[in-house]
Amino acid sequence: MEFKRFKRTLRQVLLLPIVACLLLAGVLVWQISGANSTVGLIEDSDQRIALATLIEKLVVDEETGLRGYQTTSDPRFLAPFRDAEAPMQQAIDKLQSMARPEQQEDLKQFLAEHRIWRQVFAEPLIATIVGGGHADDLDLNLLGKSHMDSMRAHLDAIVAIATQGREGRVAHWRRQTRHLLFLLIGLALAIGLFVGLFTRGRLESAYAAFRHAIDLQRRRAEEIFQSEQHLRTTLSSIGDGVITCDAEARIQMMNPVAQKLTGWTESEALNRPLDQVFRIVNETTRMPVENPVAKVQRLKGIVTIGNHTTLLRKDGSEFSVDDSGAPIRNAAGQITGIVMVFRDITLQLKTRAALLANEKLAVAGRLAATIAHEIHNPLDSVANLLYLLQHEPKAEEAKQFIQMAQRELARVTQISRAMLSLYRESKAPVSVNLKETLDDLLLLMHRRFQILGVTVSAELPPDIVVEGFPAELRQVFTNLITNAAEAAGQGGAVTVRITPQTADTAASPALEAGAIVEIIDNGPGIPPENREHLFSPFFTTKGERGTGLGLWVSQGIIRKHAGSINLASRTDGPAHGATARVFLAAKPIIDPASE
Amino acid sequence: MKNRSHLVLCVDDEAVGLGIRQILLERAGYRVLTAADGASGLELFAAHPVDAVVLDYAMPGMHGGQVARKMRQIKPEVPILLLSAYLDLPAEVTSLADLYMTKGEGAPALLDKLGNLLSPPPASQSSARMNDASD
Repeated sequence: MEFKRFKRTLRQVLLLPIVACLLLAGVLVWQISGANSTVGLIEDSDQRIALATLIEKLVVDEETGLRGYQTTSDPRFLAPFRDAEAPMQQAIDKLQSMARPEQQEDLKQFLAEHRIWRQVFAEPLIATIVGGGHADDLDLNLLGKSHMDSMRAHLDAIVAIATQGREGRVAHWRRQTRHLLFLLIGLALAIGLFVGLFTRGRLESAYAAFRHAIDLQRRRAEEIFQSEQHLRTTLSSIGDGVITCDAEARIQMMNPVAQKLTGWTESEALNRPLDQVFRIVNETTRMPVENPVAKVQRLKGIVTIGNHTTLLRKDGSEFSVDDSGAPIRNAAGQITGIVMVFRDITLQLKTRAALLANEKLAVAGRLAATIAHEIHNPLDSVANLLYLLQHEPKAEEAKQFIQMAQRELARVTQISRAMLSLYRESKAPVSVNLKETLDDLLLLMHRRFQILGVTVSAELPPDIVVEGFPAELRQVFTNLITNAAEAAGQGGAVTVRITPQTADTAASPALEAGAIVEIIDNGPGIPPENREHLFSPFFTTKGERGTGLGLWVSQGIIRKHAGSINLASRTDGPAHGATARVFLAAKPIIDPASE
Repeated sequence: MKNRSHLVLCVDDEAVGLGIRQILLERAGYRVLTAADGASGLELFAAHPVDAVVLDYAMPGMHGGQVARKMRQIKPEVPILLLSAYLDLPAEVTSLADLYMTKGEGAPALLDKLGNLLSPPPASQSSARMNDASD
């Protein structure tokens, strides 16, 4: 129920009883005014009775006065007779004005009798006495008495009628009062019932609306609860650690993985500053790494922390961690908190290291077959020459055979040395002569080029030296040259070229001193759909023969050497083929972290 | 040893090794034909009455296994000795040759094995099982 409707109901509940009571009062007023008019009528009757009684008294006064005068002849006795005339006239006028029709006749006859009594009996009697005569004539007196009796009878009749009317009116008033009582009770019942029922109905509908609202609220609360449970379960089930902070970097929530990884329970960590709980340092320098929350607030976007970050747990143990932070924004777009996701990548780093080592071995493995061939062929020749020397006394030929054997042995030595240097690794960067390095590699791979039917031409100017890790650079070049030779295929050609680069700060982009090694093949080229995947791990076009790690590892090594590697390719026209281009700085700042 | 005059075809892309092997076999009394790759080897094999073949495995273009298969198609009775610098060759390749040896075993081993391949009368050569007899 909307608030408006509820207000209307409230108004109705307030107004209806007032209206009903007003109605009741109206009916009461009407009824009471009816009763009042009856009372007025009763008063009229009373007044008529009073007037008639007054007239009767005045008549008695007149007669009494007259009798006294008659007896005593003293005019003082006549005063009541005289005094009664005026009030009587007044009372008669008044009674005449308000007498009912049935009383009018009696009143008229009374007046007539009274006039006659005065004119025919009283006045002559008085005149007689005044004249000194006697007024004790019986007949006269009897006449006067009969008139008087008649007058009284008429007045009595008036009183009787008035009394009768009064009684009827009183009875009517009583009936009215009784009716009023019944009406009052009936109306009160009806109005009470109506108001009660109406209020009840309204209250019921208000209650229903209230119940509905409560139910709705409860359902919503339930839904919100379910949704929150769902989110909580989701957060708990996530395999990564999740920490949320408020805008002041105080911890608000940690999922179980985050608790396990940091060694802090959620209740311990709650409201603590993030950098107390999530302590991260650089793996090698041990310097604190900028907390992702600070970084998020600074950059106002999603951030990741770099590689080689170590998380220090509460118990002092540590592990490599990978982390990202993202801002939590409110509807207005303001940052109200930060959510951080992190995971233990120790195993991942170890796997990666194992993968790199494996790839190194795979490169060696691919070369092993050709190396075996390169060593066994000269050894076979030497063995045969020794046999011939045993059975050949001719000095001329012996000398020739010994020379041949020496040459073959020198070849074995060269191969062996080149092979060993492939795996020899130094801890620190050393000077690498690129020509010597590439010559060695080409020697080792010579047999393979023969098998593949590839012609290799080298343009290797001497004395170009860069700083780096020779074994790693050999691995890169072995990968690139093998790729080129395999792409060129039977009858194909591969060119290996070194071009020195002199520093040029004016150029755009500025050129650094170093060397560019290009390995160019005239194979079919790299299809466009493969180009973007070239440096992705496990991407290979060689099926079972390839690990898909060669270029990925090569890129890592070149990045570590602060160099660059790219592949250009054409698949159409006579200039089809691919060119791998590696830039190596003469004095690079080696960054072990970028590997 | 000079009484032997079997014609032996040597195929190897290693020029030095091939030259030395030729001298060795000629000193041992064989007549020797040499070829630097599989294709020219097959031509000589088809054109001459070759008694035995000493075949290198790893060669550009056609490898020893492919050459041996074609030779078997042309003259199945001619024994083939497969030489390789590799230690492990697939069985389907070694089964094509009558005998398989790795380079570097030495001249006496080569001469001995070649002699064993050629010593039985030519009629029984094709079914010879020389692996056991070679040592």
